[in-house]
Amino acid sequence: MKKESFFFKRVYPLLFMLIITALCISITAGLYLSTQERVSANESLFLRKTILEAAGVEYPDDFIKISELYESSVRESDGIYYVTDSNGDLVYVLPFSGPGLWGTINLMIGYNSRLDALTGIGIVSQNETPGLGARIEESWFKQQFAGKWGPFTLVEEGTADQPDEIDGITGATRTSRSIQLILNKAVAEGPAIVKGE
Amino acid sequence: MARGMIRKTFLTPLGKENPVFIQVLGICSTLAVTNKLENTVVMTLGVMFTTALSSFVISLIRKLIPPRIRMMVETLIIATFVIIVDIVLKAFLPDIWKQLGPYVGLIITNCIIMGRAEAFALNNKPGLSLIDGLSSGLGYAYVLLIIAFFRELLGTGSLWGVRILGSWWTNWSVMIMPPGAFFMLAIFIWVVKEAFIKKEESK
Repeated sequence: MKKESFFFKRVYPLLFMLIITALCISITAGLYLSTQERVSANESLFLRKTILEAAGVEYPDDFIKISELYESSVRESDGIYYVTDSNGDLVYVLPFSGPGLWGTINLMIGYNSRLDALTGIGIVSQNETPGLGARIEESWFKQQFAGKWGPFTLVEEGTADQPDEIDGITGATRTSRSIQLILNKAVAEGPAIVKGE
Repeated sequence: MARGMIRKTFLTPLGKENPVFIQVLGICSTLAVTNKLENTVVMTLGVMFTTALSSFVISLIRKLIPPRIRMMVETLIIATFVIIVDIVLKAFLPDIWKQLGPYVGLIITNCIIMGRAEAFALNNKPGLSLIDGLSSGLGYAYVLLIIAFFRELLGTGSLWGVRILGSWWTNWSVMIMPPGAFFMLAIFIWVVKEAFIKKEESK
């Protein structure tokens, strides 16, 4: 058997690895940089939609129109979003979060101008079970909070009819309870935060 | 001869050597992403893209790869394609990217891709490797789609997020949970083996 030369045994694999790594990194880094703008635009659009949704403001499904609506009706200071809704009323939107079943659930929660009812919630991020806990993303679930005020009690899916009752999700009791806890915290602490206490 | 070879390369991973129900590879993602049809479609497209192109590229440079470090090179190439899938999804389909979460990145660890690179691409021409990779991806895809079809239908009464079964239907929550995937996969393998494989073996 021919003995491998030093070059083929030691130098060549090293060189090969260096070259192919450099190639692969250039490709992925190039792609990353060229899509970066789009990705951050997606992210900020998503956050804006979530804030408008929490404020109970209807928004069009169009990138430019959403941006215009947001620019004209939302102003942010010290982590509080001040939203002017379609009736000209002021709505406060605050971020709240808490543990879910698999990971942290981050919400945006909207308060009406008198701070005695919610206007809605928006979900910034969640990691719940698809098809079960992740149904908190469905619009019927998110829209049920408009006009309600806690502390909330959880009732069976589709039976909430009092202003302090919220529909849970069948098969996702833990996730429903997490939302209940976050909302109760939001109801207890939100008004004080808005008033700057 | 050449055509017969292409045909055989294309058909084997779909049936006789199916990566999921014969070789039982790539089970992690089979169990994880099959509870919603929509996610499954995107995931399988990602896997098909990665197996096909990584097999192609590995086969292109197979004579240059030093045998000693071949696995490092394979992993690197596969990872590159997976990152491409991840970035493209993030930029153009952000909603689906959010739902798939970590699973896109985990395509790297899908044994099917590494398996095809090791078993096929290193010893065959690029064109044939591309076909082999693509059909391995297809073989994986259709099994996942069948499983996802039943899991979403039985678990939520919907398909592609659209309600199919009426309100009389009680959702089988277990189908959406991880155990449902084990049941469905086991039933699938059982049915396929009972119906097709046994006959061939007894011939």
